Amino acid sequence: MTSTLRQVGIDIQDAEENRPLVNAIKADNPELTIRHLPGLLKLQAAGRIVINRETVESQLGREWDTGEFQLAIVSYAGNFSEWDDDQIIVSWEH
Amino acid sequence: MTQAKPRAKKLPLKERYALLTRDLDWEPSYVEREKLFPYTSYEGIKIHDWDGWQDPFRLTVDAYYKYQAEKDKRLYAVLDSFAQSQGHLGLADASYLNAIKLFIQGVTPLEYAAHRHFAYLARYLEGPAPRFAALCQSVDELRHCQTQIHTISNYNKYYGGFHSWSKMHDRVWYLSVPKSLFDDAMTAGPFEFLISISFSFEYLLTNLLFVPFMSGASFNGDMPTMSFGFSAQSDESRHMTLGLEAIKFLLEQDEGNVPIIQAWIDKWFWRAYRMSALVAGMMDYMLPKPVMSWKEAFELYFEDQMLGGLFPDLEYYGITPPRHVEDAIAEKDHLSHQVYKILHNFSFAAAFTTQTPSEEHSAWLSEQYPGSYDELYKPVWDKHARTEAAGGRIFFQGLPQLCQVCQVPMAFTEPDDPTAISFRTSEFTGETFHTCSNGCKWIFDREPEKFVQAWLPVHQIYQGNCGGPSVPEVLDWYGIQDGDNGEYKGSPDQRSWAEWHSGAPKQES
Amino acid sequence: MQYELRYQVIEAKRQSYQNVIDRFGDQPATRYQEATLDVEPRENFHYRPTWAQDRELYDPRYSALRLTDPYSYADPRGFYYTPYVTNRAALHDEFGKTLTYLEDRELLVTLPEAWRSVLGSVVIPLRHYESGCQLVSVTGARFAHGTSLAQCCTFAAFDRIGNAQMLSRVGIAVAGGVGDTLTTAKQEWLDGAHLQPLRRLVEEIMVVDDWAEGLLAIDHVDSLLFPAMYAGLDEKALLGGAGAYSLVAQYLTTWFADQRRWIDALVSAWRGDPEHGPSNTAHLDRIAATWGPRAEEAVGALTAVVAGRLDGVAA
Repeated sequence: MTSTLRQVGIDIQDAEENRPLVNAIKADNPELTIRHLPGLLKLQAAGRIVINRETVESQLGREWDTGEFQLAIVSYAGNFSEWDDDQIIVSWEH
Repeated sequence: MTQAKPRAKKLPLKERYALLTRDLDWEPSYVEREKLFPYTSYEGIKIHDWDGWQDPFRLTVDAYYKYQAEKDKRLYAVLDSFAQSQGHLGLADASYLNAIKLFIQGVTPLEYAAHRHFAYLARYLEGPAPRFAALCQSVDELRHCQTQIHTISNYNKYYGGFHSWSKMHDRVWYLSVPKSLFDDAMTAGPFEFLISISFSFEYLLTNLLFVPFMSGASFNGDMPTMSFGFSAQSDESRHMTLGLEAIKFLLEQDEGNVPIIQAWIDKWFWRAYRMSALVAGMMDYMLPKPVMSWKEAFELYFEDQMLGGLFPDLEYYGITPPRHVEDAIAEKDHLSHQVYKILHNFSFAAAFTTQTPSEEHSAWLSEQYPGSYDELYKPVWDKHARTEAAGGRIFFQGLPQLCQVCQVPMAFTEPDDPTAISFRTSEFTGETFHTCSNGCKWIFDREPEKFVQAWLPVHQIYQGNCGGPSVPEVLDWYGIQDGDNGEYKGSPDQRSWAEWHSGAPKQES
Repeated sequence: MQYELRYQVIEAKRQSYQNVIDRFGDQPATRYQEATLDVEPRENFHYRPTWAQDRELYDPRYSALRLTDPYSYADPRGFYYTPYVTNRAALHDEFGKTLTYLEDRELLVTLPEAWRSVLGSVVIPLRHYESGCQLVSVTGARFAHGTSLAQCCTFAAFDRIGNAQMLSRVGIAVAGGVGDTLTTAKQEWLDGAHLQPLRRLVEEIMVVDDWAEGLLAIDHVDSLLFPAMYAGLDEKALLGGAGAYSLVAQYLTTWFADQRRWIDALVSAWRGDPEHGPSNTAHLDRIAATWGPRAEEAVGALTAVVAGRLDGVAA
């Protein structure tokens, strides 16, 4: 294992419609910490954060396109090392 | 129960995206390549394979329109309802709007500048993938500029200081700080522009620059600004990705690019950081309900996320943290106080008002800055408070000397001595030029022929290019209207606010 | 918290930004006006561009076509960012629905052979033409003088990528969901003799220094190409069992009608300018004389091929 444990983060707008997304991220990233700032949720985890389409869909109860993540995200720290039809991963590369 | 419909068979996202964007490269057969892409060689950057560029967002045009139209529908609904319900009366205080005045005068024009110059990249970069990413960013930046104009339009109807933002950005002294930064980036070549704006500005410092504005808006009852801000930030994540992708791409293409990029990072970190001093002053002093101190934001967004996260990642390519970063860290206890002192002293010539922090606010500052505030800055504010209690108000008489590079008045202190003004000089073609810091001096000495061209507002006043020699003539030329400037207490905004809220019984909701 | 006074209407101190008031008086302004007028910086630029030492960052001299006041021109569509993306979201949404309908029923895969050949070797390759047009339009997005003009060029540039992607998606659909047709169409674009006059022309237009001349040169091509390739094939398509082509082509026709509106208005503004009108008119006439015949030649090479293949079927 050479994977680094530096913190990565995603900031999401604190809005009703983003709650299922945040729940899905929580479910798939047990180590996740969430900090509330005005209007904003700061999600952080060591090493990486994964977003799975299927988990989001089960939280939402409808189909969800990974592109829709763009409607929720405010900022991030890290690198989108994967972004395809099924999954988004934020991590550091080196 | 309805059954979930099986997903239609389609090309995988990556492959489809490649066909829709990358496949639209243009290899000229009838004109010379150097004529078609004339600006990609003079900076010394070498690119061997433009297809090495990765765009993780893989946004197609139809998806872009769909998401953006949806975002704007939500945003304008907030703007309309805020205007209809006279939401401005529910702000924490009218003085909060000083932060937003600084925003429309200082930041909105930068969005516009970015819009125009990403169009330059969308024309002159040689790879179709970065061209398309740049085109999206160009259109996004126009969005940011225009949604900001529309958001603030409602405040402009009731409060001073917003009305002439565009002209002010071209003319007013403190706005030459952001303007000169973008002019510097735009007049550079396409790769330096990428590193300056996409990487140093959008990736390295955007969180520090914008997220505090938006949280401040949220905390002070400014729903429209919060809405446009977070809505814009969702585009910003794409722009951050462009910045990060740009730097990795350039570093991977050729070993020889590394020292060039390092020098740009060194220059642009300091350049953008110096401009962020205005944001620091805003965060700590202009918000009636402060959210997070500059120091805390700097530690969280810059030291933890960038120095702790990003730079170890870039070390792989041989990139080290920016030169002079230790000076920035050393002054994090001082920056906002020193900047707000300048603004407070010179706000007679600004299109916003300033005020001495209240006792409550001062107590918050003291708590946030245990190592510096009580000793160095509180005594200054106490002195102002005493003068004001006796009916006075201290403004600085005369005009300040500006740093030749960042154009902030020379009032910053030495990194190791917060009581001594930092003052650097350089000689060029027999003349002496003044800079405010090691960082700015280093930048000047690297490109003196560029920085001697600076349109320095104070020099320009002395040379008679700003409406006339007297303060009222200059203010008139700036487009500052009576009462936009000076002290907040007793200003037209403050008086209107008091009148609008007088005799109104407050009801707890 | 609630304030009683919120139920009283507070009178505005001004109705709009000062620059708008200076032009039209203190009255409510449109969002288009506030988002457009005087937004581009005018003066006190700090440094000279390293890529154009004899120009300022914003400079009317990037084109021979000038307006005394660039804000005498207004986009007749009233597009600023939001109405623009809203309008195009609808266009692309409808296009997407039409395409899905055609894909589900395999109506593009089963086009008559002559039509498949026209699409594969003439129409689908035009996605590369569109990407060239993007490079031309986006030059105006950077160098046009005045936000009123520059934003039209920006939207046009983005539109061209949209057009290219619509054509690409048709290409994917024609091949039954894969990229094969796009690959052969690209080869046609690069090698097909009938496409070379157009490809050469676009390259020569792309390196024209004057952004407005480039824009208008492309417009001379568009003005022949769009009617010939899209609306002009409608009747033949409907009669020749290629209704599916007519269904997708209509979106390009819709786009071109929209494009005409702002360009025609801009050309009128240039011709009618109180100060620069006569000089603009001379330039416009020269541009038409230079590029018009080239456009006829390039588009003629395509219509000849189309006619040959489709008339062969009819015969």
